[in-house]
Amino acid sequence: MASSNSAQTALDVLILTLLSRRGPSHGYGIANAIQEISEEALRVDEGSLYPALHRMEEAGWIAAEWMITANKRRARIYGITPVGSKQLAAETKRWTSFSAGVTRVLRHA
Amino acid sequence: MSWFSRVKNSISPHGLDDDLADEIRDHLERRAADLQDMGFSPAEARRRAALAFGNATGIRERSRDLRLWAALEGACQDVRFAWRGLLRNPAFAATAVLSLGLAIGANTAIYSIVDAAMFRPLPVPQPARLISLAVPEASRSEGPPSGIGETFSYPLYERLRLAAGDSARLALFDSPNRVEAEAGDAPYEEVTQQFVSPDAFDILGVPPAQGRLFSSTEDFYPSPRFVVVLSYDYWRRRFGADPAIVGQRLVLSGRTYTILGVARLGFSGVEPGRFIDVWLPVTLTDSDVFTNSSYKPFHIMGRLAPTATAERLMSRLQPVFHEHQESLIGLSTPPAVREQLRASALFARSGANGISAFRRTFSRPLWILLGVAACILLIACANVASLLLARSTARSGEMALRVSLGAGRARLVRQLLTESLLISSLAGLCGWAVAQVAAPALVAMVSKRSDPVRLDMALDTGMLLFCAAICTLSALLFGLLPAWQASGAGPMAALRRASGQTGRLRLGRFFVGVQVAFAFCLISAGAGFLFSLRNLSAVDPGFNARSVTVLTVANTPQRERQLQLMHELQMRVAALPRVQGTATGWMAIFSGARRAQRVILPGKQPSESAETFYRVSPNYFSTLQTPLVAGRDFRFGDNDDEPVPTIVNRAFARRYFGDESVLGNEFRRDDGVRHQIVGIAADSHFGDLHHGVEPIVYMPMKPPAGFTLYVRSTIDAGSVAKMVDREAHALGSGVRVRDTTTVETLVGNTILREKLLAAIGGAFAALGLILAATGLFGILNYSVVRRTKEFGIRAALGATPLPLYGLVLKDLVPMIAGGLTVGLAGSLALMRLTRSLLFGIQPADPLVIGTAIAVFLGAALIAAGLPARRAATIDPVMALRQE
Repeated sequence: MASSNSAQTALDVLILTLLSRRGPSHGYGIANAIQEISEEALRVDEGSLYPALHRMEEAGWIAAEWMITANKRRARIYGITPVGSKQLAAETKRWTSFSAGVTRVLRHA
Repeated sequence: MSWFSRVKNSISPHGLDDDLADEIRDHLERRAADLQDMGFSPAEARRRAALAFGNATGIRERSRDLRLWAALEGACQDVRFAWRGLLRNPAFAATAVLSLGLAIGANTAIYSIVDAAMFRPLPVPQPARLISLAVPEASRSEGPPSGIGETFSYPLYERLRLAAGDSARLALFDSPNRVEAEAGDAPYEEVTQQFVSPDAFDILGVPPAQGRLFSSTEDFYPSPRFVVVLSYDYWRRRFGADPAIVGQRLVLSGRTYTILGVARLGFSGVEPGRFIDVWLPVTLTDSDVFTNSSYKPFHIMGRLAPTATAERLMSRLQPVFHEHQESLIGLSTPPAVREQLRASALFARSGANGISAFRRTFSRPLWILLGVAACILLIACANVASLLLARSTARSGEMALRVSLGAGRARLVRQLLTESLLISSLAGLCGWAVAQVAAPALVAMVSKRSDPVRLDMALDTGMLLFCAAICTLSALLFGLLPAWQASGAGPMAALRRASGQTGRLRLGRFFVGVQVAFAFCLISAGAGFLFSLRNLSAVDPGFNARSVTVLTVANTPQRERQLQLMHELQMRVAALPRVQGTATGWMAIFSGARRAQRVILPGKQPSESAETFYRVSPNYFSTLQTPLVAGRDFRFGDNDDEPVPTIVNRAFARRYFGDESVLGNEFRRDDGVRHQIVGIAADSHFGDLHHGVEPIVYMPMKPPAGFTLYVRSTIDAGSVAKMVDREAHALGSGVRVRDTTTVETLVGNTILREKLLAAIGGAFAALGLILAATGLFGILNYSVVRRTKEFGIRAALGATPLPLYGLVLKDLVPMIAGGLTVGLAGSLALMRLTRSLLFGIQPADPLVIGTAIAVFLGAALIAAGLPARRAATIDPVMALRQE
């Protein structure tokens, strides 16, 4: 696993959180949600979402299905898995304790 | 995603590609739709969507790499590309695959025979603990040494067995022979029978599949029970694997035996090349075998005790052996024989592969054939290599393009090696099919009806591995160098299509030179074998071998009537229409059997060598057309009373009486019987054609249990056999025909080895020649095509066709000269090595070498002729226009 402050893990955490809070969604929806919630603070190249999604799918943290959309096209819908939920909990804890540590250093150094 | 789906994606990534493309397109469309809703024009919306997305291709590739194995995908791509390449060049593919396939098939076939005959251990537990005893036999007075003698007499066996004690257990095996068998009311058939000591199965470790096998406690001498053990194969073939087989009766050579049991599946005797059908305990043979020290038909094999070594065993056996040899020396033994007896020593060889007469006769030819097959493989590889080299020059543009796009050298070499592996795999499949057919065909060529050769040649995993190894090796051999060359293309030069490619051509010439050398060796070997066969076939056997049918006849068991019935049969057959002569004799000539005795002239010591003694009836010489030069033929009144009327041949007269007159002289044979010479016959061969004429002594027939009937007639052997059979039946009393063949077949059987070598050597030589010629043609053709412009200029400047021919042929000379020189040296060495297999040919025979050179040059000129003609008839205008 990458070290806890790498951009890759951060992206993973974001995606997992969104999927767990908001339920299954396709890649476009996730990209929009990230932009919307972080109020443009997090600028993510939309494309780089997909390798992350696929990697997490390989690892088993999320599962994907093809759905037929309204205009008869295929769309891939991702949803979180139990393994993913466990991973999310662990990562959230790590992230919170890391950011708490950074805040403490900034305040008391 | 499991590794299974990864593999699936690697092999066939289309589904994956589609999925990724769909997903990304979906995203872009949604983004474009949203942007349109915000007011942008469709084109602007799409542009912004794409910008926001980033590098779509890069993203796709990253995602893709996550879900498959790049290396496997690369390999699959290589294979597909190579396959398509082969399909686009069917002529090249067919040539390469077929020539390699034949070479690989030949190698596999011969190797499987070599393996079955020589390497495969006996199917018994711990074959490494088995030993077989042998005595080096001194050479006969004429002819080459017969190698290691492996036969012993029974008394010697007994002594050795006792002396071995607990270091080893020794078992006895008789030489197998063919006998008549009858079971139930089925007709007669011939089976292979072998006498073995009662503890043989136990010592070897062969368990019964049905019933029981011999045991020393129950089958001691003189044996109280007439029992026989069947082989599994025979039981299945003849009795349909009937489980109630134990206790049934089997009649062998007129005697009835009870079937004791069946040996286990897979065991068919200790001689690779011979499948034994029935075994009998040796204790059932004639009683005088057990006391006669000069009757030596037995092989001795043994199993070492777990803690014993071969050396310790031999140290126990040698003294006993020497003692036995001393005991054979009598008052009348000539000094040369005395020395020979004293000097011989016993030694133990590994018995893991059994003992084999087939192996002895054919081991050297088989190794030579394997060497020849390996030669062919090398030639085929060189051929494919030069073809690949020519092709790679045509593809240099493609290679250069790939290099400039960033392909590493290793990647290119991998691609080219994949192509080579594909060719050699296809060739391997082809070769496997060839071997399946060729191996049994080869064995059938050396198998005779009276002495069938059967080899257990399961083309099994070992063979498969061998085949695969050869394929890989050849792929590397012919593929590596061209691949290395091709991938070293400098992109700029290749893209500009400069024609400075002489390096490639040099390598191509080198390969062709190699082919020439090997092909020449093969051709001279083939020529040597063919000439040997011709020389051997041209030897005058001393009789007229054509149109004589040979029938093996079983006589009546009533001893008093045997002679009379035999005479009657001879007379009745002689009276039949279209029969020109009949005669009877002991065993058939050229059948391998021979009775020999020493000759004792009055007042002298017995002769050093034993001469052939052969019993014949009157009319023998006229039937076989061996002229009588003096004296008289036998009469029906002649019999075995002393002095026995005898006819000798000229060689005998010369050897024992020099130039003096011989008629009326007397001599004795080993067992004291007196002979008186009443006639002299012309020289003839008795056992085989390889050695010179030997002295033969002919005597009248005495009552035989079986005899040979010779019938000279104009009709074919089958009809003669039917007629004789009718007459035999008419005579009754159990006289019947057992077997039919012709003198020609019998003589032909003795030159089987030469026929085999000539046929195969000739075929391989032709194959090698064709391959080398193809290689020559290919490279000359290629060089002419590349020099088209040059030839065009020369023609335009006024060159006549002849100098152009000369230019092309000049190209030919260095290749051939180099190859021929090496090939010549190789052939001379080869002929020296195979001297024992050649007949009437010296090691540096000018006829053979000259023929080989002539054949080779002829083929080379033909191969060079076509490109030369092409060069000479180039249209200058076309040539100069082409660029």
